[in-house]
Amino acid sequence: MFLQINFKSGMPIYLQVVDQVKAAAASGALRPGEALPSIRPLAEELRVNRNTVAKAYSQLESQGVIETLPGRGCFLKANHSALRKEVRRKLLVEEIDQAIVQAHHLQVPRHEFLAMIHERMDVLDNKRRANEEHQED
Amino acid sequence: MSSPTPAIQIDNLSYSYGSAEAVHDLTLTVPPGRCYGLFGRNGAGKTTTMKCLLNLLHPQRGQVRVFGIDPAKQEVAAKRLLSYVPDQVAFYPWMSVRETLDYLASFRPHWNRKTELELFEHFGLDPAQRTGSLSKGQRTQVALIAAICPETDLLVLDEPTSGLDPIVRREFIETVIGAYQEGNPGNRTIFVSTHLITEFEGLIDEFTIVDQGRSVLTLDSDQARERYQKIHARFAQAPPELDLKAALRVRRDGRELELIANGAGPELLERLRQHNPEELSTQALTLEEIFVATLKS
Repeated sequence: MFLQINFKSGMPIYLQVVDQVKAAAASGALRPGEALPSIRPLAEELRVNRNTVAKAYSQLESQGVIETLPGRGCFLKANHSALRKEVRRKLLVEEIDQAIVQAHHLQVPRHEFLAMIHERMDVLDNKRRANEEHQED
Repeated sequence: MSSPTPAIQIDNLSYSYGSAEAVHDLTLTVPPGRCYGLFGRNGAGKTTTMKCLLNLLHPQRGQVRVFGIDPAKQEVAAKRLLSYVPDQVAFYPWMSVRETLDYLASFRPHWNRKTELELFEHFGLDPAQRTGSLSKGQRTQVALIAAICPETDLLVLDEPTSGLDPIVRREFIETVIGAYQEGNPGNRTIFVSTHLITEFEGLIDEFTIVDQGRSVLTLDSDQARERYQKIHARFAQAPPELDLKAALRVRRDGRELELIANGAGPELLERLRQHNPEELSTQALTLEEIFVATLKS
């Protein structure tokens, strides 16, 4: 898995790592059971502080996205969030609210916004399907 | 909760060379385990500050502490806790690389031979070569090996990569992240002075910008990138007269406006939005851009 850090996004570096691993997992680019790069080589490659990568991994682990097997490394877990359903929903609501605020400012009306959500979910589904078919070949 | 002893504590440090004041009333704290950047132009007082930490100069006013120890009073105890890569690396030119490292290791209670071997191979250095015939990049590599192998909890780097080629610079930073930080990640502290900020962008947790010996700005890197924004707006007609005093800098070009904001980003964005711009976008400033914006405003 290749990660890309953007210092101009205004987003903390560890969160960029967290988000990219989650995005790769959601699209099937990273499959359950697959290994993530170890902390040291990833930090060297991205040229970011080792502690930043460690912080990202420990957040991913506490959110149930990855698991650390001692002596073997970090692996993507199958779809099991450690958080309860209501907590998961609440986290998502915050993100949705932000997108709605953005839509308002960018003058995207409700029906267009909802259509875009369907469209984006289809894109992700297709990507995942393509990745799965690839796996079966 | 009591905070741990800072790796570096500098309080009201002042130092003058004759009538030329190099450092004026500088105060900063480097907590253990952090990577701290000291940014400034040439002659801003970075090296003088570093020399006070190493007891190469005595503070004329104020004080410095390394893990709570005063280097002027307990020089050996303070130096035992830190390693240093200077901007101008000098070795005895008649010694080979091997002899130089053995000589430097003889001053250290601990020396990691395995790391030394790995770095030797990584850099492709010849142990038999005399240091007098090494290139500037190779001399810095030897100095870096000598700084990492004692496995101290504080690594002081003074303009370590200036004058080196891009490959050597890249390897230098990778080695600091890999070989140095790996050892005891929670405690390994880095204090680096540089004006080549972009290279260290991902490594720096917190920084102080100094100018003419004075501290101008101290910030956490993530907070800095969140606070400093470049806002770009384009209007259908010439931009309206707006109150943009909250911006650090304003540039106009025809129908376009470019603002640099320090914390006032949301407020400025709202003000611009009210005039229905054709395009409105924001971008965080990199640490180097923050450095330039701070010193030019």
